[in-house]
Amino acid sequence: MSNLILEGIRLKKTYQLGRASVPVLRDASLQVHEGKWVTILGSSGSGKSTALHLLGGLDRPDKIDGGSVLFKGESIWEQTNRQINQYRNSDIGFVFQFYHLLPELTVLENTVLPAMIGGFGNATEKSRSRGTQLLEQFGLGHRLSHRPRELSGGERQRVAIARALINEPSVLLADEPTGNLDEATGNEILDVLSSLHVEGLTIVLVTHNLDIARRGDSVVHLRHGQIDHPANLAHSGGIAPIQAT
Amino acid sequence: MGDVIVTYGISGLPHYDELIAQLEENSNVLAATPIVDGWGLLRMPYPESEAKQSETVQVWGIEPISFAKVTSYDSSLQWKTPTENQRDWLLLDVITENQELLRDEMQDDDWNELVEVANSASSALNYEDVGLWAAVQQIMSDEQWSRTLALDERLGNPDAILEQGLTLMQNGRDGIVSGLHVSEGNERQKDGTYEVVRHDYWWLPRFDGTLTMLPVDSEGGVIEPESVILPFVNEFQSGVFMIDESRIFVPIHTAQKLLHLDEAQIVDEDDPTEIVGVDPAKATSILIRGVAGISANELEIIVENIYDQFIAGMPFDTTVMPPSRSNPGLTIHTWEEQQRSFTGPVEKERELMRTLFSIVYLVVAALILSIFWSIVYEKTRDIGILRSIGASRGSIVWIFLQYSLVIGVLGSALGLLVGWLITKNINEIHDAMGNPPLGMAIAAFAIAGGITILTIAKSRGGQMLPIVLGILGFATFAGIGALALFIKSIGGLVIWDASVYYFSIIPNNVDWPSSIVTAFGAILFCLIGAVIPAAKAADTDPVKALRHE
Repeated sequence: MSNLILEGIRLKKTYQLGRASVPVLRDASLQVHEGKWVTILGSSGSGKSTALHLLGGLDRPDKIDGGSVLFKGESIWEQTNRQINQYRNSDIGFVFQFYHLLPELTVLENTVLPAMIGGFGNATEKSRSRGTQLLEQFGLGHRLSHRPRELSGGERQRVAIARALINEPSVLLADEPTGNLDEATGNEILDVLSSLHVEGLTIVLVTHNLDIARRGDSVVHLRHGQIDHPANLAHSGGIAPIQAT
Repeated sequence: MGDVIVTYGISGLPHYDELIAQLEENSNVLAATPIVDGWGLLRMPYPESEAKQSETVQVWGIEPISFAKVTSYDSSLQWKTPTENQRDWLLLDVITENQELLRDEMQDDDWNELVEVANSASSALNYEDVGLWAAVQQIMSDEQWSRTLALDERLGNPDAILEQGLTLMQNGRDGIVSGLHVSEGNERQKDGTYEVVRHDYWWLPRFDGTLTMLPVDSEGGVIEPESVILPFVNEFQSGVFMIDESRIFVPIHTAQKLLHLDEAQIVDEDDPTEIVGVDPAKATSILIRGVAGISANELEIIVENIYDQFIAGMPFDTTVMPPSRSNPGLTIHTWEEQQRSFTGPVEKERELMRTLFSIVYLVVAALILSIFWSIVYEKTRDIGILRSIGASRGSIVWIFLQYSLVIGVLGSALGLLVGWLITKNINEIHDAMGNPPLGMAIAAFAIAGGITILTIAKSRGGQMLPIVLGILGFATFAGIGALALFIKSIGGLVIWDASVYYFSIIPNNVDWPSSIVTAFGAILFCLIGAVIPAAKAADTDPVKALRHE
């Protein structure tokens, strides 16, 4: 059994919509082991994106009894702001459905942005060469000085993945990375992720698509903010049976 | 004007030359000069009838050499060399005044020709250049010509008029240098230059004036008025209208004589034949200029100390003692204190401007705030992206502060540059506004026409923006053109009236400390306007920001 790297324990998240409280996650727990690919599967509104945001430190669980997120055994929300920023910056890499690239920056600048934010400004040359290398690896070596708007959806998502990897994170969190792409392009992206996984990258991927979910090592099924079959977590080493939604 | 002024009313300060010598021994004093100051009536050469006009003038008796060291007297003199036309007038004057002499020297034919030339010139010179100089030179033999030129120093030596102004002497006579606006013969043109009416006929250095002053005796009573006829040797322009319209300079001994402040013998009251002492010459003020780097206030204290030493050092048996500093008639003031009535209103205006501009600052800060608020709104998603990849709140604030810093610094630099250019050229701009060149109107109408054609061509597409911009552009340029034509048709505008604002040209010194404080204030308020939206940006929840469309 490999090391436990990221863990969500009894996560609760409630959104306030006017006066109404909408619980999105209730008592969802999951574990991610180093080098594994965990897929969170769920329909729209099941709370899967929220779960990913909580794991990635972009959002906080409920203040009262909201559970905790542990990275390498330490609760991220009990750390200082600086440490949380560092967690977002270099411990995890985030890939979004809508790419979220900065339109004013070139492909290469977008890619090295987390390295610049991470305070490796003095190692700019190093990060630039790593960014170039990543982009070349993803077949974007000829696009370095292009702007995001000049790129196709698949290309943009590959840039977003390169950006997520620039600081060599321990875990890659991907929120419906193919959701905005046609099937063929989507598969290209998934192939990229697969090859990264083969190289040893830990991946947590959120999707509503069963076929995509099959690519992972294990599947966590979210329904109405709860894990359907917590039992699956016990043997996260193997491929869990897929639950029909 | 001098940095510090010692004044002792109408009765005057005796032994002033001694005081000046002591002042000039001090290393902080650059120069000191005595003034005899009083009011007088100046009988002007105009109009041509017997009933001449008189002007009330403030007479300053000066020692020209030391006076020029303390003030910028030498550079304020208006006439450096006579123009060809002025020279022709001087030549005509010489011929007119020396008819007998010339007639004796010249042959009858030449003389008759000269009379003809001079007669026709005396009327034609009033409205055009006639080339009298060359014509007369042709008639006369070389010897006659050089002898004629010798009759007035200003004919043979073009620099003589300036030299006469600097020495207040003309051909061995004391002379008057009067303010440029004392004579009604000088007319200020719209471009700020001066022209003498009737084509230099009333050029003052051609004439004499009669100066009358009222002396006051030792008990303060008025004695018989004293008059003297003096030639005008030059005119000066200080730039301060109120001075230029009323002040004249004469040699100090002339003023002392007219005011009975010159050296006199004191006789025994019972026996007027017995001389008991000498009443020394007196000066009503002493102007003192400090060396560079010393402030007027520092110099004032130095002068006060020297003055006390001067009084203490007077020999015990001095007949006429200068007043001590406790004497209420004696004042030692800096020029600013002396000119309070001048500078006071200007200072008030500056205060008012500062208050107004403080309000402008606040408005600008509000403007920056609202602009940055909308920038932050527009960039919310990007802020979310930056936060999700680990940017701290502080770094988000810093991004927007840098943004506003760039705007503030660029804006301030540009404002400083434009302000400096406008200030330095304000007089030229004023003249161009008062008398717009025809080319400006033509250019404006041409641009308006071009805009109209362009708008008609663009309006076919039916889009509103080109039409609106076209109409506004047309209105602006056609308006500028029409205004220029209108101003031209009424013969130009004088916006800056010298008689209202004291100064004959618009002062255009740039006050750098104030400018720099203003520029930094602008940058500061730019930062204040930006920091609030920046803080809001930094507090944006990354997840919500990422959902922002």
